[in-house]
Amino acid sequence: MTAPATRAGAAPGAPVGIVGLGMTAMSLEPGGAPADLAAQAVTAALADAGLAKRDVDGLLVNTSQGVRPDRLSVALARQIGLGDLRLLEHLEIKGATTVAMVARAVLAIRAGMAETVVCVFADAPLQPGGTAGSTYAHSGGSDGVRGLERASGVLGSVPTYALMASRYLHVTGGTPEDLCAVAVSTRAWAVGNPDAVVRTPLDAEGYRASRMVATPLRVLDCARPVNGAAAVVVSGRPGQSGQPPVHVLGMGFDHPVRRRRAGGESWFGGGRRAADDALTMAGRRREDVDVRELYDPFSVVTLCLLEEYGFCAPGTAGAVARSGALGPGGDLPTNTGGGQLSGFYLQGMTPLVEAVTQLRGAGGDRQVPGVTTAFVGGIGGRIDHHAALVLDREAA
Amino acid sequence: MSTTVADVGEDWLLDPALAPNAHDPLLAPLYAGAARGELVLPSCGACGLALELEQRACDRCDSTDVVWAAVVPAGAVHSATTVHRRERGLVVATEPYPVVDVELDSGHRLVMTTLAPQRSAPAIGRAVRIGFRSVGGVAVPAAELSAAELSPVPPSDTEVTP
Repeated sequence: MTAPATRAGAAPGAPVGIVGLGMTAMSLEPGGAPADLAAQAVTAALADAGLAKRDVDGLLVNTSQGVRPDRLSVALARQIGLGDLRLLEHLEIKGATTVAMVARAVLAIRAGMAETVVCVFADAPLQPGGTAGSTYAHSGGSDGVRGLERASGVLGSVPTYALMASRYLHVTGGTPEDLCAVAVSTRAWAVGNPDAVVRTPLDAEGYRASRMVATPLRVLDCARPVNGAAAVVVSGRPGQSGQPPVHVLGMGFDHPVRRRRAGGESWFGGGRRAADDALTMAGRRREDVDVRELYDPFSVVTLCLLEEYGFCAPGTAGAVARSGALGPGGDLPTNTGGGQLSGFYLQGMTPLVEAVTQLRGAGGDRQVPGVTTAFVGGIGGRIDHHAALVLDREAA
Repeated sequence: MSTTVADVGEDWLLDPALAPNAHDPLLAPLYAGAARGELVLPSCGACGLALELEQRACDRCDSTDVVWAAVVPAGAVHSATTVHRRERGLVVATEPYPVVDVELDSGHRLVMTTLAPQRSAPAIGRAVRIGFRSVGGVAVPAAELSAAELSPVPPSDTEVTP
């Protein structure tokens, strides 16, 4: 450790890490306002770090888009009883926001503009009187492109991702068995994760018996929305609770502008730069990565991102998934907590929480042996925004 | 809400509550054209490039002159899905329905359903004509397939969702 800084933040060149992690229970029942859930997660994260609210001088807020009017905002600082802050922002790049919060926190700390920053996400899409699917189907309004698409039967997010999945299988020559392999391997990880909301073992037969939502996506190809929250504490100083260090070594973003025009692909072929930048900054190669934690709202996205981020050659992720490489005991452990598919859908927090858990060696039955380097990938929109982190046990 | 098409029948797929806002400033030209039976979409006024619906400046020549004009109502399927989930109160169809992402001959892309009920989605690459359905009195583009062009029902589509 370098000498203590005289200003806020980390000494120049000192490592910045995730020193606290806190979550609520992941609920499949209605209840809980986002601010209440966020308060619980922040309290848990600070306790995990061995820090008090007075130690916090930054708060970054990530809220879910659209489906609830009582979303989190910067008012959260007041609502959860924090004191005066140096850094207080509500970030918004859709599902990539969680990774962006961590990057924002690291940059602020390195610049001396904050010392200890809490990043929190909360969502409560499950409401009395309707399923989450129903809530999503009713949201979106009648204006703009969304209004036109809703008037064409595009209700909720599944039909759009089903179009993407159909196109992906067409372009790669894949079959629904590729998607099945992702659902099955992700579930196998969830079996070992007490925080996962679906932990019953799943085989291909069980997958094929599950309800079709929008071809080729079955209900088991889709994330499990929950009411819940998660928070992390990012700091230039070590935590006070003896948790193993988790250093943020690399960060990268990519926002490809792929035009929706005839004659080209509009979903595939972006994001590589986010992964390359994060790995380069971290001084790590892809083969150094022990676990890949990827934003997986739908099974097809796992396949897309493995290819976009260079962990599989283009068009091969389906075969890799069918080989069992993504699951427990495989060569390419991916979404080791069950991801959003079987674990819980807390947007970008889902992969981040699992990466920290694996790096701490706290994964229990689903712990991958000897994890020192984790890759976190977050996406937003219709795979329009990519944000990547490389987290590591080592400080450099 | 006011309507742009009078005396229209009920849509085969959706409840009138899903009528888009025909006076939404962004897409008003599309809806006005659709009410006349024309497919009106934005292109660059300077170089003619097909623009996305929300695009405000040309990515080829940087012009901010956006011109909405009728295009040839024909194209091919870029991707397609058969939607089995039918939200009660919003979807009136009793069978799964197609959603199609169409590559238009004009260079545009547009997501739509089919003009008439169809039990499964058309295959990628299949040619379509564009017609119009009416949702709550607002005309919206819809893909038209001749009977001969209907794709067979693939095995994965044969189940019926309750």
